[in-house]
Amino acid sequence: MVAAFTREAPPAPESEGVGESEAAETGTEAEEQAEPPLTYEEAVVQLLNSPRYGERWADMWLDLARYADSKGYEQDGLRTMWPYRDWVIRALNANMPYDRFTVLQLAGDLQPVPTKEQLIATGFHRNTMTNTEAGTDDEEFRDLAVKDRVATTGQVWMGLTFGCAQCHNHKYDPIPQKEFYQLYAFFNQTEDHDQFDDRPTLDLGEDVTALIMRDLVGDERRATNIHERGSFLSKGAEVQPAVLTAFHAAPKAAPPNRLGLAKWIVDKGNPLTARVMVNRLWAKLFGVGLVETEEDFGAQGTPPTHPELLDWLATEFMRLDWDIKAILQTMVTSATYRQASEVTAELADRDPQNRLLARGPRVRLEAGMVRDQALAISGLLSEKMYGPPVMPWQPDGIWQMVNDTLTRWETSAGEDRYRRGLYTLWRRSAPYPSMIAYDAPSREVCTVRRIRTNTPLQALASLNDPVFMEAAQHLALRTLEEAGPATAERARHALQTTLIRPPSDEEVERIVSLHAEAKAELANDSRRARQLLNYDDTLYEEGRLTTLVEDSRGAGAQWRYTTKEPPGNWAHADLDDSEWRTGSGTFGYIEDQKGSNKDIEVVSDWDTEGIWMRIEFDVPPEGLMDYKFEMRYQCAFDAFVNGVPAAHPPQQYDTHTEFPLYTDAVAAIKPGKNVVAVYASRNREKNRGQHIDVGLKALRQPYLGRPTEHDADRAAWVVAANVLLNLDETLTKR
Amino acid sequence: MNPYLELQQTLTRRHFFQRCQIGLAGAALSGLAGPGLLEAEEDSVSNPLAPKPPHLAAKAKAVIYLHMAGSPSTLDLFDYKPELKKFDGQDCPQDLLEGKRFAFIKGVPKLLGSPFEFKQHGQAGTWMSEILPHLATVADDIAVVRSMKTDHFNHAPAQLFMHTGNSRLGYGSIGSWVTYGLGTENQDLPGFVVLASGGRIPSAGKSVWGSGFLPSVYQGVQCRTQGDPVLYLSDPTGISRSMRRRTLDGLRDMNELQEKKFGDPETLARISQYELAYRMQISVPEVMDISKEPDATHTLYGTEPGKVSFANNCLLARRLIESGVRYVQLFHWGWDHHGSLLREDIRYELPKRAKEVDRPMSALVKDLKQRGLLDETLIVWGGEFGRTPMRENRGGKYGDYIGRDHHPHAFSMWMAGGGIKPGLNYGATDEIGYYAVENPVHVHDLQATILHQLGLDAERLTYLFQGLDQRLIGPAEGPKVVEGLIA
Repeated sequence: MVAAFTREAPPAPESEGVGESEAAETGTEAEEQAEPPLTYEEAVVQLLNSPRYGERWADMWLDLARYADSKGYEQDGLRTMWPYRDWVIRALNANMPYDRFTVLQLAGDLQPVPTKEQLIATGFHRNTMTNTEAGTDDEEFRDLAVKDRVATTGQVWMGLTFGCAQCHNHKYDPIPQKEFYQLYAFFNQTEDHDQFDDRPTLDLGEDVTALIMRDLVGDERRATNIHERGSFLSKGAEVQPAVLTAFHAAPKAAPPNRLGLAKWIVDKGNPLTARVMVNRLWAKLFGVGLVETEEDFGAQGTPPTHPELLDWLATEFMRLDWDIKAILQTMVTSATYRQASEVTAELADRDPQNRLLARGPRVRLEAGMVRDQALAISGLLSEKMYGPPVMPWQPDGIWQMVNDTLTRWETSAGEDRYRRGLYTLWRRSAPYPSMIAYDAPSREVCTVRRIRTNTPLQALASLNDPVFMEAAQHLALRTLEEAGPATAERARHALQTTLIRPPSDEEVERIVSLHAEAKAELANDSRRARQLLNYDDTLYEEGRLTTLVEDSRGAGAQWRYTTKEPPGNWAHADLDDSEWRTGSGTFGYIEDQKGSNKDIEVVSDWDTEGIWMRIEFDVPPEGLMDYKFEMRYQCAFDAFVNGVPAAHPPQQYDTHTEFPLYTDAVAAIKPGKNVVAVYASRNREKNRGQHIDVGLKALRQPYLGRPTEHDADRAAWVVAANVLLNLDETLTKR
Repeated sequence: MNPYLELQQTLTRRHFFQRCQIGLAGAALSGLAGPGLLEAEEDSVSNPLAPKPPHLAAKAKAVIYLHMAGSPSTLDLFDYKPELKKFDGQDCPQDLLEGKRFAFIKGVPKLLGSPFEFKQHGQAGTWMSEILPHLATVADDIAVVRSMKTDHFNHAPAQLFMHTGNSRLGYGSIGSWVTYGLGTENQDLPGFVVLASGGRIPSAGKSVWGSGFLPSVYQGVQCRTQGDPVLYLSDPTGISRSMRRRTLDGLRDMNELQEKKFGDPETLARISQYELAYRMQISVPEVMDISKEPDATHTLYGTEPGKVSFANNCLLARRLIESGVRYVQLFHWGWDHHGSLLREDIRYELPKRAKEVDRPMSALVKDLKQRGLLDETLIVWGGEFGRTPMRENRGGKYGDYIGRDHHPHAFSMWMAGGGIKPGLNYGATDEIGYYAVENPVHVHDLQATILHQLGLDAERLTYLFQGLDQRLIGPAEGPKVVEGLIA
């Protein structure tokens, strides 16, 4: 069957082939090719055995599992789901057969003696969202989670759209509403119930608890009824767990629980499970599935373009005992996959989407891969695997408007900034922005097929995101280090590094001329040249952080304060406050030392209506940037710098919270001595406690180094690298 | 019809391949002459956001939707209920409580009359409370719908329901339906812009302006009034404008070389998106800069350039619509006045919030009207549900503060322009404002009406997903256009 593929296009040259299948299989292009050159087949085997393999395919699976590090809905607080993510990577790298991979995720807890790993696998269906909004009906959201589990199971394993059968019989596929609720009954016995504590969980030590599935026992078990029109409040006839009658019967030994359902799904008599999976793998490699509607194998989906090939692959997959690596190997070593991806005018006309497979695939890189690729080319990509999610640099304010203001994005340190995209912390209400631009789903619900778009917001992200500029800086530095001194040599080397193929002379010439133009401009702009060469220090705050007024978490700066209203312009820099009292924060009194007040230690008593506080801070001659107050308070207040209003925050915070200074206040700051003045006042009944603690910090200016005669030449390579990282070919798997 | 395939084809087919070469010449020229005819030609073929003809004759071209997240008590703003005042402090009748679920009310709560004075305004005699003095001056330009009802009484599901027609996540927002159905007129700006104020985004998160199962190109783009107005819009540190032009020229030349090698039309699509990005870098900051507006405008709206405020966002909404943006969605957070804390007390906090929105939203009506834009711009104002005529008794008891619980059965909204009857009072609630009794308007009816004014038929606005040609408004039967609202 494989040999019977149409073969209109010649095979790709060997040097291209290795790069292309590596990109497709592990998510980034090869950095260096091993010596001596591997044959294509050897390279495939090496890639399948690389730890990157599990990461690349886990990324696909995590869309299906709607994996995220937050709970969803209003608060969208964080929770520990990453042990499940790591389980997926490990299972794929260990080449766990797909049937077992399935059974453990759906019913690992129902194994005879479940191991820790098997319990973690059940995190698959704990990825449903929970609503911790006050006043919500837990049963309503538990019901939504169960419906999501039924619909997701149908989509992921059988390419069936159960979702609409929750309200009425499916209009096109043989799924009566009653049978939807029979499937629902399998999932309706788990302990989780949309509560804040996330139970049931598994303790993994070191403060890590994984969310797992566990069935209720005895009297606690629930009856399942049909929900009229899908509403959990309108209960119809009671139903028992049962598989869909339009398909094969459940295996004889299958118990009437999730384990039985899982066994039915992976039974070799199931006509869909293997087809859906091989189609999905095919779609990832070729850009489009043999059945284009990967999510729908039902009557409304698109029919397969090559039905016999799909059947053969599915049969082969089962014959290989559900060996995912083996079936992938079959696909990528096929003549079809190895065809070159050039499009002739005739082919573009006859088959623009390449559905007839007369040429090799050429598919745009998606979301995480776009960034991973830039990091890999520049040499920054970390190979560190597993563990808690990381927070690479992102623009300020992405999380600012999420309704849980206490959780903050703190840029990770060291190599954690450069981890693969799948380790990036994923908050459903505010996901990592450059990945969203490149069509990553929010992971609120199962996403079978990412829809690729082509928008200017993508161009803006990969051109202007400082993370991509940092990668450009490192690609430039790498080029300067690795290539010979001639500009053309450097251009050739940078192109080869980026495209994993020998560049044409024309391409080299264009990069050389771009470099010359950029160099000419930068020769007259030393500051910009040095900025381009020092991106890291511009981007990362650590090391540049300057504490101007220390709050109570440190030594606590000594303030001048009074509780009698001072006359005149008391916030002015030149006021003589030497008669005022001296003390450090926290100021206030605590009525009830528990709850959110538990850890607040008052140093200076304040129990009157108002308090006026002043403190000096020094600014170095070159100035500072990004001034921020850090405050924790239960009162109303106004803050000033040199008499200019600097902050007037709207609500109370019981942990230290950052407030950028108003622009006018920043403008009033000058080198040398400056004064912060704060007026705080009681904003609720007396006797209920009040407190305030204020710190001020800023960043020193980024280090740009001393100008040298080579700056313009070197910085022009950063400009060229910015272009190289944005080439269509760079952003495309081919 | 499979719109996904259609979208892909518009981006990939040979047809486009040929057009785009003309388009490229246009793109190269645009640096000199600005966007021209050639690009319009290119866009209509390649761009999923290119303007499309509506199903029906359209009254409105654009929408400004003002969402008051948290849901204001419209019993204290529009729905004048002297009977409720008369029975203030008495137990709520049992028959109104039986079989009902509330977010916080327990047992038998007391009825709560409005603490504010009401008067009639304009020729229409529209009742409004004293805390909306500016809106009173445009009473004859707006239509107050006094009989809204919804299916949900928690914030996140109710907001999703209001904006996506579905209370669960995963469905597109009405702004995305509209950009999907109609495209947008100015290709140098996003077609669907979101502006938030009040310190937070809505409870339901960014899904209320998401595109759900529609392609992400249709989702709302949040523009910010501090920092970069659109993420990654500014040239990065070290790259000047002229350098950006040089890099884009280099990028285009390199991509053209590669296009010759691979012949992939996607490459050409990518080149045109980079050129569009370059134009957006100029046009977005221009439209977002309100500092050059005349003083009279700032006085009218109460705007202060550089701040994050509802007033600034109202003025921005006008500027965006004027520039050809299709759908502008404002969110103003902070209307959830339960009365369990001082900062939720309806007596003190509702007037504060009302003051933040009263002048700017009235200014928006006046400003659009005087510019002749009100006829073609539909303004919609409201929360996600109503609030109870009863005083909330959290934990079953009353404290020092006064507030109301969530209430799905009745609330008021207002609309203006876009072919809606001016000076109209539509529908009514019962004597105490518990149920919408006269001409009730369900959320789906409101959505169908908004679509209708834009020339879109809710029944025909569909997208193939999960094997079904899904109506974007949702599968529920019978969303009705509210004919009584239409001029």
